[in-house]
Amino acid sequence: MKVPIKTKVNGKLYEQEVEVRSTLLDILRDELKIKSVHRGCEDGECGACTVLLNGKPVCSCLVLAAQVDGAEITTVEGLLKGDELHPLMLAFIENHAVQCGYCTPGVIMTAYSLLNNLTDFTDEDLRRGIEGNLCRCTGYIHIIKAIKAAKKCKDSGNWW
Amino acid sequence: MRNFVGLRAIPEMEYHRPIALEQALKLLSELKEGCKIIAGGTDLVPAARRGRMSSSGHIHIIDISSIKDLDYIIKEDDMIRIGAITRLSEVGASTVVKEHVSILAEAASQLGSLQVRNLGTIGGNLCNASPAADTAPPLLALDARVNIRGIGKQRLVPLKEFFTGPGETILAPGEILAEVQIPITEPTAGSCFIKLGRRNAFTLSIVSVATLVKVKDGIFDDVRIALGAVAPTPIRASRAEEHLTGKKVSEQVIDDGAKVVTSEVKPISDVRASAQYRKDMSYIVTKRALTMCFNGGQVTSFAGKG
Amino acid sequence: MEERERRLVSGKGFYVDDIELPNMAHCIFVGSPYAHARIKSVDVSRALRLNGVLAIITGKEVAKLMDPLLATSSYGAIGWHWRTPKVYPLAVDKVRFQGEPVAAIIAEHPYIALDAADLIDIEYELLPPVSDVNEAMQPGSPLVYEEWEDNMQVHLEFNFGDIDAAFKEADRILRVSWHEGRVSGFPIEARGCIASYDRITGMLNMWSSTQAPFLGRQYISSALRLPTNKVRIVVADVGGAFGNKLNWWKDTVVGLGSIITGRPVKWVESKRELFLTGSHNRDVTWEGEVAVRNDGSILGVKAKFVKDLGVEGTNRGSAAMGIIPACCSVPNAYRLFKGLKIEACGVVTNKSPYCAYRGYGKDKGIKFMERIMQIVSRELNIEPEQIRLGNFIQPHQFPYKQISGYVYDSGDYPAVLKKALKLGEVDLWREKQRQARKQGKYIGVGVAFMVEPAGVAAPHCIYGGLTQARVSITSDGLVEVESDQTEIGQGSTITRTKVVANILGAKIDDIEVKRDTSDMPGSGVYSSRGAIYPTGALIRATRELKTRMIKLAGHFLNEEPAHIDITDSVFHSTKDPTKRMSLKELADCVYFRPGPRGLPHDMQVKHEILLDVSASWFSPNTAQNPTSTYATYCSGADIAVVEVDVETGAVSILKYAHVHDAGTLLDKDVVEGQIFGGIVQGIGEALSEELVYTKNGELLNNSYTDYVMPTAQDSPDIAMGHIETPSPFTELGQKGIGEAPIITSKAAIINAIEDALSPFNIRVPESPATRERIRRWILESQEG
Repeated sequence: MKVPIKTKVNGKLYEQEVEVRSTLLDILRDELKIKSVHRGCEDGECGACTVLLNGKPVCSCLVLAAQVDGAEITTVEGLLKGDELHPLMLAFIENHAVQCGYCTPGVIMTAYSLLNNLTDFTDEDLRRGIEGNLCRCTGYIHIIKAIKAAKKCKDSGNWW
Repeated sequence: MRNFVGLRAIPEMEYHRPIALEQALKLLSELKEGCKIIAGGTDLVPAARRGRMSSSGHIHIIDISSIKDLDYIIKEDDMIRIGAITRLSEVGASTVVKEHVSILAEAASQLGSLQVRNLGTIGGNLCNASPAADTAPPLLALDARVNIRGIGKQRLVPLKEFFTGPGETILAPGEILAEVQIPITEPTAGSCFIKLGRRNAFTLSIVSVATLVKVKDGIFDDVRIALGAVAPTPIRASRAEEHLTGKKVSEQVIDDGAKVVTSEVKPISDVRASAQYRKDMSYIVTKRALTMCFNGGQVTSFAGKG
Repeated sequence: MEERERRLVSGKGFYVDDIELPNMAHCIFVGSPYAHARIKSVDVSRALRLNGVLAIITGKEVAKLMDPLLATSSYGAIGWHWRTPKVYPLAVDKVRFQGEPVAAIIAEHPYIALDAADLIDIEYELLPPVSDVNEAMQPGSPLVYEEWEDNMQVHLEFNFGDIDAAFKEADRILRVSWHEGRVSGFPIEARGCIASYDRITGMLNMWSSTQAPFLGRQYISSALRLPTNKVRIVVADVGGAFGNKLNWWKDTVVGLGSIITGRPVKWVESKRELFLTGSHNRDVTWEGEVAVRNDGSILGVKAKFVKDLGVEGTNRGSAAMGIIPACCSVPNAYRLFKGLKIEACGVVTNKSPYCAYRGYGKDKGIKFMERIMQIVSRELNIEPEQIRLGNFIQPHQFPYKQISGYVYDSGDYPAVLKKALKLGEVDLWREKQRQARKQGKYIGVGVAFMVEPAGVAAPHCIYGGLTQARVSITSDGLVEVESDQTEIGQGSTITRTKVVANILGAKIDDIEVKRDTSDMPGSGVYSSRGAIYPTGALIRATRELKTRMIKLAGHFLNEEPAHIDITDSVFHSTKDPTKRMSLKELADCVYFRPGPRGLPHDMQVKHEILLDVSASWFSPNTAQNPTSTYATYCSGADIAVVEVDVETGAVSILKYAHVHDAGTLLDKDVVEGQIFGGIVQGIGEALSEELVYTKNGELLNNSYTDYVMPTAQDSPDIAMGHIETPSPFTELGQKGIGEAPIITSKAAIINAIEDALSPFNIRVPESPATRERIRRWILESQEG
């Protein structure tokens, strides 16, 4: 069965018919060709598919495509200004938080949301915030460092 | 046994998206068989991908996540009322919940991960009825009730009576859990929620305990102890509660009372923990949760972090 | 240089699942729900009728159209007890592990293939499964391979020095038992590949998430009966590997699927399939004795070592061979060994295939030794660091031939350990430990040390040390680099770029590391060899290229080559600054204007007219010392301070320090990133990760829900230190480090837990030390 949905993905309006049995992850990757959203476990356990749904980080593998009618979705592609990387992305690169890169877009979306919503946080808060994003390569150390560096950017106004 | 496939496809289904509760109830009563209610999908979708959604005949998905009338947290006199599709992250962050029924906020903030909490709903957590459902112990300790709606009817059921077995509730076909009602108790001693898992975060509970204690003149006046993951359903440890009521508050008394809990739990052994460990931990964690009620604090998840 | 990272953060990845080809079909594997059964019939007719199903491959087709899988190692040839079964990628007449693929479905859409999975009717005759390794070793046990008399795939004895003398001289003999639970890497991206067979050219093109495309090509072409030059593998972006992508058995079926259907076929493995069908690692048991003197000198170790291979360990991956480094690495950093004797058993059971996971084999011997050191320390009441300092190979003794035949290249073990002790604030924490005990709190300090053999060139297997690198200048002056140092997220691209930039004097932005493919002969990345073998080849090729370029620049600038330097891609004379030319200009001169016509006479005569050099490299260590199958030997020390909640068994890490000596560091940030990641993996293994099978061979935890890996809340702050003792055997003194950090971290945590619980007189017998187990050990010690 197909149902029509209207969504705004990275600021662009889409109208399409989606299979009820497909997930938001499926349509983002397969229909809209947004490949940053990764298939990890498709079980809600690893966070590699994290996107912002109406501003909040969710596992897109758990959301039925049919459910996002009227919703706004943001992925890392939506954080780019043309070819210009978002300061959060640059922080990840500069702090060596990108190894295999598979968890990276998901962590970036979670971190983006945390940085936008928390005025102040401890390392504990940060670690809690990204608990739903599994990483096997970095041991999280450089990821935490990158997010803290990004906060400095944000506090100094270098942010969007 | 079924052939092994790493991930099954979500089966073909029909999708319905009512925008009002009455509409949803009407759908349920018309369609009868094969109806599954979805809000956050955090239980339903993984179950479908594990092949646990039976596909003999049509499956009808009733998506209630757009029913705005079911999404609220309000304080009404001495009652907190939470709509069934309120996201767990909202429940955890709500100042109303944190101020008046803080153990629910604690549990909601530790359930799963941030991503899961942004999707999962309080109603979904209860209706999925996992014995380890984290919102259940605090709600049981708070003597919560659920408002169950059917076409042309509604019933208020104490949460104590809601769970009937692992994954089973008293919901009859055609019924939707619409609201959770929590009487506000002003604990003169305190309340506490502790969750013990297998790692520091994002872990299923091996044991979760919610306690709420009122004390009068140094005597246990009203003791509530609720546990998750140690019985076929989340439970109140009424024997332990009785044992403690009327006794003078002391370390020894708390310890004895917590031990009584072990006679009330019926845990299973699985890959996550053995029954014996769960039983032992029901005592240890209850003891700590009761103790923390007097230390004015909410202890968070059993991080083992000091 | 960060072009790759810029792509990956902005959604321009090229992982297997990102790749779409026109007319592409999708493959999924259907596996057995039973661990041990005969296949009586496979009926695919219902599944084939499903609209959109293109083809279904079963064991019958595979046995007809494919050759058995290539054995990746075989020591049977030299008379060892080493059995190599005939293995196909799909079960033909028997299934031997739960999840063993029985069919592959190729369909227009993955959902269609998945729907078809339940329409395949398979009749099984159940056989008694043997999932417990001890039962598998009993006479009368069900046989995993009926053509063998027993379940012993490999049975070896390692006997070095004089073990009897060692035990005779000892003051004490201590028993040591140690078991590591079954674990694996389970990278966030599972396995996968795309195969596209061109019926006109007969070329099978593949895109793969793999660590070793050239080896993969050999393995796949052999199975598919194709000449190797008709199979080409391009490595996609790899979402983590850790050894789990050093096998290609399912890829062979994807290739066959493309050949049969004439369509490109994509296979993306689901996570639960990765968990269930391997590849797994660890799952070893040591029962041994150590001969010690009262002053802590370790004179010898005798042990029986049993490795649970699951189904065989040579065709679906190199598993059995790991037994050899496991045994030979036991002496670790210690010099007083007079004897080492190990009986090693590689036993098959009805469990998933076993292959490489960070550490591969040497990790096991090292961890066993570090458990021994902890036990000796307690028994003799000598601090664990003192025991080690007393036994260490001394700095002046390098190169040092260890009793097992490994020749350690360089090191300063005392300096590494002392630095770690300082970083870990051990004295302070021991004082806190004393204070804590008075309050009924249990803090523990764990020490662990390792010498990690890296860069293998082993006999009788496909990992014999093959490597090649190629550096060339394009006709418009860019530098292109190609080697078998496959990029799997470990910093290979960055490192290669920097190595070339430093030698050539070229601008970083002018250097492009080409996407890895099977075109380049070489073994790929594993055994921490990237910094050793491929880098060695790259350095040699780059140096040769530079010599040639300097000569040519001198020719065109009319300057002595001795006075030519290159900086930022510009050749300039050190004597006359006006004499300069860019790399781009040189390239144009060499290629076109004037081209070969205008080159120095001697170069024309020798036909050396191209700016294109390929080179190889082989370990001088191994060449001089054939028993030293590894090229370099880095070292490291870990200090872990934990607090154990004795009521729940929960462990919190209060302090963590790690010091590393990887010789000359090629890129500090890359190395630190690898170390942090490895340490946290080791912590996961120590505290919570384990694959749990029932007696019937059913895996109880095949998902991230129940295979408990560290989240961001489970990783500690890590204080890191480096020491560099260059290796005399490599071009820049660099050593391999990739696997090292996962080894000592696990040992340090386990040792710390044991130290914390010393008032209870507990010996930690196994990993993971889960909360439940810790509590059980405490209760048992209180009852006993």
